[in-house]
Amino acid sequence: MKAWKWFEGSRVGRSVFRVGIPRSNLERAQAMVSSFLLHVQPAKVNRRTLRPATTLGLGLISLYLLGILTVTGILLMFYYVPATDRAYDAMKDLQYVVSAGLVIRNMHRWAAHLMVLFVMLHLCRVFYTGAYKRPREFNWLVGIALFLLTLGLSFTGYLLPWDQLAFWAITVGANIAAYAPVVGPELKFLILGGNSVGQEALIRFYTLHVIVLPALMAFMVSVHLWRVRKDGGLARPEEGADRLERIDVEHLPTNKSYGLMELTRSTSLQVGKNPEDEVFSWPHLVFREMLLLLAVIAVVLFLAVFWNAPLEEVANAIHPPNPAKAPWYFLGLQELVSYSAFWGGVVAPAVLVTALVMLPYLDRQAVGAGRWFARERRLANTVFTIFLIIAVVLTVIGSVFRGPNWGWVKPWAQPPAVTEGH
Amino acid sequence: MTPQQPPSDSTSRRSFVQLAIGWSVAALAAAASSGAAVRFLVPNVLYEPSLRFKAGKPDDFPDGSVTFLEDERVFIVRQGNTYRCLSAVCTHLGCTVGRSELGFHCPCHGSSFDEQGKVKGGPAPRALEWFMVTLSKDRHLLVDKNERVDAEKYLVL
Repeated sequence: MKAWKWFEGSRVGRSVFRVGIPRSNLERAQAMVSSFLLHVQPAKVNRRTLRPATTLGLGLISLYLLGILTVTGILLMFYYVPATDRAYDAMKDLQYVVSAGLVIRNMHRWAAHLMVLFVMLHLCRVFYTGAYKRPREFNWLVGIALFLLTLGLSFTGYLLPWDQLAFWAITVGANIAAYAPVVGPELKFLILGGNSVGQEALIRFYTLHVIVLPALMAFMVSVHLWRVRKDGGLARPEEGADRLERIDVEHLPTNKSYGLMELTRSTSLQVGKNPEDEVFSWPHLVFREMLLLLAVIAVVLFLAVFWNAPLEEVANAIHPPNPAKAPWYFLGLQELVSYSAFWGGVVAPAVLVTALVMLPYLDRQAVGAGRWFARERRLANTVFTIFLIIAVVLTVIGSVFRGPNWGWVKPWAQPPAVTEGH
Repeated sequence: MTPQQPPSDSTSRRSFVQLAIGWSVAALAAAASSGAAVRFLVPNVLYEPSLRFKAGKPDDFPDGSVTFLEDERVFIVRQGNTYRCLSAVCTHLGCTVGRSELGFHCPCHGSSFDEQGKVKGGPAPRALEWFMVTLSKDRHLLVDKNERVDAEKYLVL
């Protein structure tokens, strides 16, 4: 501590940290503004923002998982070779030869699954709190793009281990794309770089997975976070009262010299209606964020140490596993596809994404923003919940109630013996 | 000082032409670049098994047999002195079908097909495809997956 204090006060320390550990309110504000990593966030936040129930921290958890995925992903790249005759061996090496390789691969896999889950939960949170309403419509669209990017990253990463699961999930996925109207077969050819899943498909998915989609993701995440600030932080029920025209100047606290400075038009700069509702981001917000980061790392590490990521046999184009299943978040889709590839695989997802994109422009009612399950939004919440339940039921059916030949199985019964064809 | 004149017709027309030329050039450049980029991604050479291949000598396939060729994912069907070639790729989502009592069965989503490749159940939208079989000069069965034929077309030897 003494050494740190000396460093902080030294020429070098001051040049790096500018403010150092803040000791006054002025320095607390300066610490947020002068740090590159912290300046994305406001110097002061509304007390409501700090309450766990406001957002449950779902977006931040998704961001942390993306960070874990980036770090572990870069580490995996040092050993992985995107070639059909070496990819699977690289996976085995990571599991049995490379120091800590097993845990890092496990972390990457579990963090990926968790990220899909938490991005979905974050989407549900934003819906149920009506936080996509004006002025946040555009950030909802950015969020939809991030959701699709998350699925795209997960799907492209799926092929890389080059095991049976990978090969057949991508075969099924690429053939779903072929059902798209007009350009379907050409699209499939372009995705795979050929007629079937092989070396060309592997290098394409690898390039998408390690640079194209992550670069897009980094850009869109930046826009997403920037818009949160520009749109006035988290949605609040009393937000409308922030507007200039509705603030009664007479009633502003006169004992505070900064009282008038907090008067601005719209919600862009002013953080809360009343300065009394705000606290300094340092330490209140930053501390909570760091605590959550530790918790996320702890959970992922715990999963990675005690549960291994599955790796099936090496990809074999002749013997599809029975049943061949897509990743869990696509199993609802696969269940639909088992009835009709066109309606389930093309129309249903297209309609779903279109509905999500149009939502903030169709639902223009301003009431109910910033509150969970607002009564005024009963219709919207009911419709959304019905779709959510359908999606969950289809996913559960696809995950545990479907066995060999995509026939019905009881998950609690003994798994039936699988008979091979040919 | 007199108030400024609103821009006359000739200047607004000039600026319109300038804008139109500028935007057209930009749009053309963007279209050409993205067109070239997409075309770049469509491979001209495929390192895949050829779609035309020799399946073997006619006598390699016993009478009444249905033989699966792994690399090409097809069945060679011989009945008497007739030869046909049936695709083993499910028309639903591209899994490899296997033999079953009825004919053929896809393990991925449960489509089933009869001996003629016709859909008997499951989500498959079309019958399995039949490919053209001819005889090469050195008397091997020559299958061409580019050429689809109907189930009634045989190679008779």
